[in-house]
Amino acid sequence: MRSQGRRQLPCPHQHRTGFVKLSLSISLLTWSRVQVIAQIESMIQKVLEGLSNSNQQISISLQSRANITRKNGRGAGDPASVPPPKNILIKFPGSNVQEAWRFTVVIRILELIHSSLIDDTIMTKRDMYYRHPDLFMKQAVVDRYVDDLACTFGVSRSMLNVVATAKGLIAGNFILRRQDGACIHGLSEEEGLLVPKLQAEDLLELDAVRWILVIEKEATFRAVLNSNQWRVIGSQSLILTAKGYPDVASRKFLRYIADEHPHIPMYALVDFDPDGIAILSTYKHGSYRLAHENVSNNQASGLRLPELQWLGVQSHHITNGRADRKLADTRMLADTQGLMKLTIRDRHKAQRMLEWDLCAEGGLEARWRVELQRMLMFNMKAEMQILDEVAGSLVSWLVSELGISVGAASQRPATRTAACVLSDDELLF
Amino acid sequence: MDPKLEPRPVPDTKKCISSKQYLTLHTISDAHHSDIFALAPTPVSLLSASGSSSIQIHSTTSPEFPLIQTLQGVHPLGIHHLVTAKDARRAASAGFEGKVKIWTEGEDGQWVANGEIRDGLKAGNVWAVALSADGSYLACSSINGKVHVWSLHEPNMPKIREYETKGNFGLSVALSQDGRFTASGHENGSIYVFDNDTGRLAHSLASLVHPVRSVVFSPASKLLAAGGDSRTVALYDVTSGEQVANLSGHSGWVLTLDWSDTGEYLLSGSHDSKAKVWRIETRTCVATHSHGDKPLWSAKWLPKNTRSEMFALGGGNNTINIYREAAG
Repeated sequence: MRSQGRRQLPCPHQHRTGFVKLSLSISLLTWSRVQVIAQIESMIQKVLEGLSNSNQQISISLQSRANITRKNGRGAGDPASVPPPKNILIKFPGSNVQEAWRFTVVIRILELIHSSLIDDTIMTKRDMYYRHPDLFMKQAVVDRYVDDLACTFGVSRSMLNVVATAKGLIAGNFILRRQDGACIHGLSEEEGLLVPKLQAEDLLELDAVRWILVIEKEATFRAVLNSNQWRVIGSQSLILTAKGYPDVASRKFLRYIADEHPHIPMYALVDFDPDGIAILSTYKHGSYRLAHENVSNNQASGLRLPELQWLGVQSHHITNGRADRKLADTRMLADTQGLMKLTIRDRHKAQRMLEWDLCAEGGLEARWRVELQRMLMFNMKAEMQILDEVAGSLVSWLVSELGISVGAASQRPATRTAACVLSDDELLF
Repeated sequence: MDPKLEPRPVPDTKKCISSKQYLTLHTISDAHHSDIFALAPTPVSLLSASGSSSIQIHSTTSPEFPLIQTLQGVHPLGIHHLVTAKDARRAASAGFEGKVKIWTEGEDGQWVANGEIRDGLKAGNVWAVALSADGSYLACSSINGKVHVWSLHEPNMPKIREYETKGNFGLSVALSQDGRFTASGHENGSIYVFDNDTGRLAHSLASLVHPVRSVVFSPASKLLAAGGDSRTVALYDVTSGEQVANLSGHSGWVLTLDWSDTGEYLLSGSHDSKAKVWRIETRTCVATHSHGDKPLWSAKWLPKNTRSEMFALGGGNNTINIYREAAG
C-alpha cells in the first residue's frame, strides 16, 4: 500500500513520483489509443473487403455481455470471475430491416469513436446520441453498442475516448487541486459537485475525511446536505450519490479513493428492497455488463469495491430494538408510512437475486441472502426515508450509526470526534 | 363494541394464579445457519426449515434432541414453509424457488421424497402450505390470491379445488383436521373459509385490516384463530363465521399460531421475538417467553406424550428452543 506521505501536501519527493506516474500513463494511453485505432480500422477493412467481393458476406462480429445475469454464475464464491462474453454476428444487409439498422448503427458508432481517437478528444455518450437521434432512436442503443465495442476490443470505455455524462454528485470536506491550479473545496459547494474525472496529475486531499458514505438516492443526498447537522457530518466525511445504479465515473472515483486512501472506511446506504441490494452489488462487485471495465483498466483491482460496507437499510433497522421500547412506539411502527408491499416485479427480482452465486448458500454475501428472504417473507420493503420515522431523523441515525461503526472498526482518534458529535448535537441548532 | 370481544379484565393477583410456568428444556443452538422459518413436529421428531436449503430432523424422544436426519439441498434458494400432517407420516415443504415437495416417513423413521406438486404451478406463485390431519390433502395459498387444494393419495396428486379470492396475496392457509374446511389469510386483512365438500366460500370473515400472517383451525374444527400485523389474535366461530374473541397483548406482528392438542391453549409467536400461551376458556395470556431479539417465525406445540406439555420456538436467531410445562 502507499505511504501516508501521499496524502500530505506536495513535497519534492511526491512531485517526483507524481511525474513518473504521469509519464507512464501518457505512454500507456497513447499505446492503447494506437491499438484501438488499428482494431477499428481492421474491422472497417473487413467490411470494405466484403463490399468489393460480391461473394463474400459483409458482417461485423461483436463480443457482448449484454443480458448476462449473475444467475447460475460460474465460479461461485469468486465475484471477480465473470462469464465469457457472447459472440454476436451482425450481417448486412442481413435477414431483416432490424439487422440492417443495427449494422448501420455499429458502423456509425465506429466512425465516431475513430474520429475522436484520431483527434484525441473525449466524447460523451450523450453527444454521440445527439449526432444522429433519428438513427439511434434512443440513448440505450448508443450505450449498448459502445459497451459492446469496448468489450470486443478488450478495453475500457474510456480507452475509446467515450465517457458517460457525469451523473454522480459528491460533497464533503475534500480539496481537489487540479493540475491547472484550480482548487475546489468540497464544503464550499452547497449543492454538491459533479463527480470529477481525476487526471493523474490532479490531487484529491482527504485529510479531514474520516469516512465515506455512498447514498443510493439523490433526494437523500440533498436531505443530508440541507440538514442542520451537515456542518458536523460534512466536516469529517465525503458523501456521494450516483442517483441509483452507479455509473462508471462514480465507481472509478470511489476506486481511486480506496486505492489512495485505503484506511478510510466506505459505507453504503441503500433502500431496503431488491434494487437497493442490486445497487449495492454494482458498487461492490461491479456489473457483468461492464466487466471489461474491470479487467482492462490498468489498475489491478479494476472497478470493484470489496471494502464497501453495508450500513443500511436492513431489516433490523426498521423493526429491531423495538421490542424493548414502549408499546406506543411499536404501535407507531406498524403504521409507519415508509413500509411498502413488494410488487410482483420486486418478488421476481428478489428471487432471481437469490440465484446469484453471491447470494447462494455459502456464497460471499450471506447477509444479502438473509435480507432478501426476509423481504419475501414479510412481503415488505422500505425506502431509506423510513429512518426519518423510525429513528426520528435519517441524519441523526447516520450520526449515531457512523459513530458506532467508526468506533467499532478501529481505534483511531475519529472515534472520539464522532462521540463528540453525538453529544454536542443539540448545541448546534 | 360487543363486550365479549374484549379480553376479560383479570386482576393482577388472579393473573398470577392463572399463569402457567414453562421452563427451557433444551436449546438446539445454530440448528440452521439462517433464519428458521418453520418448525413441524411429529410424535417422535421435530422437522425444521430455514433460509438454507436443507430440512433438519431432530429426535424429540431422547433428552438430547439429537439430529437424526438432514434432507440436504432440497430447496436451493431456502425454504419458507414446512408442515407435517397431524396423524400421518407426511410432510410438505415450499421453497423460494417456487416448488412444493412432499415427504414421507418410512417404517425405519427415515424421511424420503415422495413427489412434487407440478400441476398448474408457476414459479414463485405458491406461498403458504397446509396438510390435512390424515395427510391426504394439501392446501396452498398464492401470491395472486388463489387457494389450491390437491389430493395427495390419488395417483399424480391431482388438484381438486381452486378457490378464487379477490386477488390479494394469501400469506397464510389452513386445513381443518377433518379436512372439511380450508381457510386463507390475506395481506389486505381478508380471511376466507371455504367448504371443501361443496367447493364454495363458506365465510368471508370480518377483516383484520392488516396483513394476516397465520390462520389455524382448533382441533375440533370449531374455532379459527387468525393473527398478523394487527398484533392481535382474532378467534372466529367456524360454523357461524362470527368473531368471538380478540386476544391482545403482543406488541409485534403475530407471525405464527398453533393450537394445543386439546384445544385448551393457543400458542402465538411474534415479530418482536415473544411467544405467548393463551388459555382459550378465559381468553387470557397465561405465559410469555422471549426468544432472543429476532423475529420469531415459528412456534409449535409438540404432540403430547407421557411427559408434560412441550412447545418449540424457532426464528431469526437460528436457534430452536424447547420448553416444557413446570411440574405442579
